[in-house]
Amino acid sequence: MTVAAGLGYALIALGPSLSLFISVISKKPFLILTVLSSTLLWLVSLIVLSGFWRAFLPLKSTTWWPYGILVLTSISFQEVLRVFFWKVYKRLEDMLDAFADRLSKPRLLLNDKMQIALAGGFGHAMAHAVFFCISLLTPAFGPATYYAEKCSQIPFFLVSAILALAFVTIHTFSMVIAFNGYAEANKVDQFFVPGIHLLAGTLTLINLAPGGCIIAIPLLYFVAALTLMHCGKMVHRRLVENRGRQDDLE
Amino acid sequence: MKAQCLVIKEISKDKTPHIELPPAFSKRDEIELDVGGRLHFAHALFIPNHSAIGANRTQPNPQLSGKHNQDIALYWKNCLGTSDLLDDLIAHADSHPLSGSLALDPGRGKVVAPLVRFDNVNATAESSAILVSLDDLQSFFRRVARDPDFARKIGGVLVEAGNDLQHKLKGFSPAEKFPQEKFAPYQNITHEWNPNGSGIMWNAYNFPVLLLSTNSTSTLKEAAIKNEKHNKAHNVDVAEFDLVMQTTKAGTHNSELCLREKTCLPLGGYSVWSSLPPIDTLSSEPAKSIILAVTSMDSASFFRDKSFGADSPISGLIAMLAAVDALSHIHDLNSFKKQLVFVVFTGESWGYLGSRRFLHELDLQSDSVKGLNSSLIETVLEIGSVGKGYSNGVKTFFAHATGVSLATNETLNALNQALASLKSESLLISTAKSSNPGIPPSSLMMFLNKNSRASGIVLEDFDAMFSNEFYHCHLDDISNINSTSIVAAASLIARSLYILANDVKNSTASDLSVINVNTSLVEELLVCLLSCDPGLSCGLVKNYISPSNTCPSSYVGVLLSDPSSTPYPGQSSDISRFVWNFLADKTSVRKDNAVSNCLQACNSSSDMCIKLETDGKGVCITSTTRYVPAYSTRLRFESGAWSIIPSNSSDPMGMVDPVWTESNWEVIGVRVYTRQDGTYDQLILLGGVALTISSYIAIVVAKTYIAKSLKRD
Repeated sequence: MTVAAGLGYALIALGPSLSLFISVISKKPFLILTVLSSTLLWLVSLIVLSGFWRAFLPLKSTTWWPYGILVLTSISFQEVLRVFFWKVYKRLEDMLDAFADRLSKPRLLLNDKMQIALAGGFGHAMAHAVFFCISLLTPAFGPATYYAEKCSQIPFFLVSAILALAFVTIHTFSMVIAFNGYAEANKVDQFFVPGIHLLAGTLTLINLAPGGCIIAIPLLYFVAALTLMHCGKMVHRRLVENRGRQDDLE
Repeated sequence: MKAQCLVIKEISKDKTPHIELPPAFSKRDEIELDVGGRLHFAHALFIPNHSAIGANRTQPNPQLSGKHNQDIALYWKNCLGTSDLLDDLIAHADSHPLSGSLALDPGRGKVVAPLVRFDNVNATAESSAILVSLDDLQSFFRRVARDPDFARKIGGVLVEAGNDLQHKLKGFSPAEKFPQEKFAPYQNITHEWNPNGSGIMWNAYNFPVLLLSTNSTSTLKEAAIKNEKHNKAHNVDVAEFDLVMQTTKAGTHNSELCLREKTCLPLGGYSVWSSLPPIDTLSSEPAKSIILAVTSMDSASFFRDKSFGADSPISGLIAMLAAVDALSHIHDLNSFKKQLVFVVFTGESWGYLGSRRFLHELDLQSDSVKGLNSSLIETVLEIGSVGKGYSNGVKTFFAHATGVSLATNETLNALNQALASLKSESLLISTAKSSNPGIPPSSLMMFLNKNSRASGIVLEDFDAMFSNEFYHCHLDDISNINSTSIVAAASLIARSLYILANDVKNSTASDLSVINVNTSLVEELLVCLLSCDPGLSCGLVKNYISPSNTCPSSYVGVLLSDPSSTPYPGQSSDISRFVWNFLADKTSVRKDNAVSNCLQACNSSSDMCIKLETDGKGVCITSTTRYVPAYSTRLRFESGAWSIIPSNSSDPMGMVDPVWTESNWEVIGVRVYTRQDGTYDQLILLGGVALTISSYIAIVVAKTYIAKSLKRD
């Protein structure tokens, strides 16, 4: 569909991420490193999953439940990996704090910790976007377009970009929620994130039905909005608490 | 209405030419046009009886319309230097001779046009890719000729494969009603040998026409119907034609120009002749008179790569090959009183290139025809289309004679004797109707043109009109002919040639009864030369050559380089090389029971190496089988380049020869895909940019808010 359309699809999927990168992450080198390592980790997770599932593919199934199992196992694996990611981060945090103490510099503030969590989520989102959307976009730069059978109202590339945008939002902000949940030992947040991830994954199964994309996309954006709101509320609460604590200290 | 050429005598300063109609109006002349400051060789098109140029012999100032030379119509139909751009030609304007015909579009790159079915073309205003079924093809081209507005709307044409059984019911022939009438040796050229002929193949068009396969046909039909249903939708299924003909791109629109600029190559190939038994040129005995048996191996079709030419002419070729095989088993070949020579021409569909060049080489006594003396040729027996002689259980053939003479009577007697010896009640030979103007279109015409007293007979399966309803059509395939007919023809020919060669008034039945055509050979040749499976990968062909394609095509091809050099596999057609090897093998004299390969002694002048491609070693035999290049007598190859010799009256056939060439091309392809509206693409880009910017603003706002709330500490 020409270069204009290809560029447009790439911007739809990754435009907000670009803005986020420019305005927040690029300001601090450590965040860039976090993004890179996070992206690497999640790409490896996707490779491991595809390696495992290669033996069973192509699924060639007319029913939805093999895809359901695929989604379930992949999400479970990724959530386990998230806990692992948190543990590595915790060790890193302790090391950084110890290092800062030695140099008599201030320790990691709440703001810093949340930004690192955001960067981690951003890496996860990038991995998803590249794997599930950008890799499919190359034909979009050519002269033709493609409409999938089951979603014949919207071009395939547009659906792919919109879905990627939703997932980018979900992944970026759920990491913030998750890290906060592990730090505060807040059970609600700890179960919120895997729950949202699973819900989002399951919603994509609706795309398998003819015309399902019309329903799935709005629902997915609802989930993304939910994540965003929950993250916002949590951040607001933490900042208020923090401010309160600062006041107490003074 | 045929187009003819005229002479522009002078060009005035305001660029309007004075046109003087030459007295002998059918002459073809070159024109120099000075328009837009560039000198062009052009052949302006004139339609007689047009009101602008009437009965007056000089007509001042018919306007050359158009501001630049690009708007001048350049045509080459029937003019000197015909350039055969098989798929990409300029259409001619019927209505006004010199006015704004279609602009030359040099070097169009890819042409993208939405798919439309022929029935619905009226609804569209833009350039379209038109899907036409084979039934409608002739009416489609009639409309193109009549309606220049319609012709302008055509970006490309895709012809549906169609259901073959359905098409067999009506005939379809894109050739003329009298194929190659200008080469006829008689005046009456109104006789319609090919009544089904529509002539669409010989017109010029400025759009590509491609034939689809069965799978593609159904896909594209769906796409075209989808386009019709969703007329206002923002996406449309388009066809992208990717074929650029170098002659269009370079602006060399006739053969002379394009050969000079090397943007095209001349049509041609290699004919094969073989003598049975081999001619011993060193022998001191006087040379025997020659009985020439002639056929051709090339055909043409509207679609370059899809022409089997089953009835015309491959049935004749197969009959000849089977006859040679039958005759080769005779023990006392050397006792023949006359020399049998078999010749297989190529290029006959494009101006009788093979036969003309063969006769020319005979005159020049060149190496390729060493051993043949044209004055010794007593008579010619041509095997034309013999595949459709079988109907209602009876096989009938017709002998078309050049006239009444001693030699033709002898041949007719021989045919009748052969018929009698075959003792078949279902086999008949008749002489052709006297109401026929003469012999049908055949290579024998060239012999007559060379020497009006030449005598010969053409054996065909028809009398006054072709029985082949698919003459020069891609549907003239194996299902159009019958092997029984070919076997019968081969038997007749083999026995007649034996009788003629022995020159005995009454050959005994026992002599003739040993000459039998191998029916399984005929069956095998049919599937090898007229089908794609097994096609040229069949055992019989692979025994002799390594074919470059599996599907046989009887298109003559182009001459890539020096025609006088021996053709090697890359340069000549598979059928040509197969015929050479086959004839050499069958007419060879066994060498002392020892089968030697060519790496060992194969040096003497009468030795030849066959089957060389199959294993690199080949087999050494003694035979007289040679290639003769087949190309127009108007062409000359000198220092690596082709040039056209001006026509002169010593070569009357050359004067009517259009000198066909084929443009160079890199790729010929068509893709079909769904294309989005341009505005839709822009919208998407806009959406992406807007999303990026708004999210940036939102993030900045959120950051400031968080920073402010932190600062409140």
